[in-house]
Amino acid sequence: MSQLLNALSEALVETVKKVGQHVLRVEGRERLPTSGVVWSRDGLVVTVNHGVERDRDLRVGLPDGTTVSAQVVGRVPNLDLVLLRAGAESRQLTPADWAEADQLNVGALTLALGRPGPDVLATFGILSAVETGWHAPTGGHFTHYVQSDVVMYPGFSGGPLVNADERVLGINTSALVSGLSLTIPTAALRRAVEALLKHGRVKQGYLGLGGQPVRLPKAQQALAGQETGLLLMMVEPGGPADQSGLLLGDILLTLDNHPLRSMEDLLGLLNGNSERAGATVPIRFLRAGQPREGRVTIGERTS
Amino acid sequence: MSNLLQQLSAEMVSVMNDVRHSLVQITNGPSGAGAGIIWREDGLILTNAHVVRRTSLTVTLPDGRILPAKILARDPERDIAALQVDADRLPAATIGDSRQLRPGQWVFAVGHPWGVTGAATAGVVIGQGHDLPEMRDGKREWLMVSLRLRPGNSGGPLVDSAGRVVGINTIMTGPEVGGAVPAQIVKDFLIRAMSS
Repeated sequence: MSQLLNALSEALVETVKKVGQHVLRVEGRERLPTSGVVWSRDGLVVTVNHGVERDRDLRVGLPDGTTVSAQVVGRVPNLDLVLLRAGAESRQLTPADWAEADQLNVGALTLALGRPGPDVLATFGILSAVETGWHAPTGGHFTHYVQSDVVMYPGFSGGPLVNADERVLGINTSALVSGLSLTIPTAALRRAVEALLKHGRVKQGYLGLGGQPVRLPKAQQALAGQETGLLLMMVEPGGPADQSGLLLGDILLTLDNHPLRSMEDLLGLLNGNSERAGATVPIRFLRAGQPREGRVTIGERTS
Repeated sequence: MSNLLQQLSAEMVSVMNDVRHSLVQITNGPSGAGAGIIWREDGLILTNAHVVRRTSLTVTLPDGRILPAKILARDPERDIAALQVDADRLPAATIGDSRQLRPGQWVFAVGHPWGVTGAATAGVVIGQGHDLPEMRDGKREWLMVSLRLRPGNSGGPLVDSAGRVVGINTIMTGPEVGGAVPAQIVKDFLIRAMSS
């Protein structure tokens, strides 16, 4: 008898049933509805921006078959994220058990759930790739790159990627990179939700510079306290970097006391923390081989 | 940990072996071919209607015998056909209850994709019903699965983790998504076909 196989199959079914209670249908576009996940007890729902094409007349379908109205709290198009608040009637909605980044392990078993119609649907796979910090082609900065091999069935975008502990690793989207099943992880969702609730938008920091990573000569490594820095190839006239006194050819070492080893590091710092845009922070850089210190007021980029 | 994987793997192999005993190949003129399921030991074989468009059919049994088959009933609307071969005591499949299937449940398909005989693929049930995305003609009931089906899988069995037939593999709507006719629809078809 296939004991273990049956048990595995049954465990998958139970996981779908349980986590499916937090998965909603989001009716916000002409064609097929998309899916969303209950974020918090007060009716906040996270879903994908590409699945919610209109701002008015939004509805979410609940697991018990009822449908309630919803409003857009805010959008973050370059993360393909929209935060909704479901109507007061939906107070019975319970948030998913959101898993943190320490649960993002390559090879872990995962289920993708969706609810484009009345019933919850499921596909199955493994976590394929996880990286810390990712700058998407959309310009959005993610805390992590999360890729799985789950099949993204139509209407699955905005639905959860679920792990073996019945916890939600993030919401899936097929729109960030064509042909890949990517997940917006919990940490990126939390960062965006907090910024949307506080500021109504996700602030994106801006320095007005372009650079590329360079390896420092041995002698300068000791002075700088790190092996690489960002060589400035472009400084926008009048931009925040220009106003701080940075010059073409300077090698930027740290921003707000965080080392800069790549443009990814810099973009992560500028976009990763909504509070940093508008703030004045310390910088360290090398000019003509000598370490220098300064301060820069980070601008805000409007997306 | 590896013991668990070994046991899981051994069970999958065993389920596949059992199912392949009830899997036939249907040849349909010089080019067309598909799969079929030994539904009853008295020679009743079920497949897709689109696998048996012609009348000169042969069925290759799991033991290698090649027999002529005649069409007992054919329903192009639901894409089901019932065939009869002149043989008895055939290794019939165990037929399951497709109405009990739930999303996430483990399933296997066997067939002859691209002519590779008896090939197996695995995946899970996505869902079933009348109004699934991609399958919205509203009339037919589909069982959608997240596994690989290819030309040559048509008419072959979709089985659950206990090896029971829960559907007939019928279409692919994407590289990793397939559709099957639920076993319950096949049973209803047989009751109607055999009583008329």
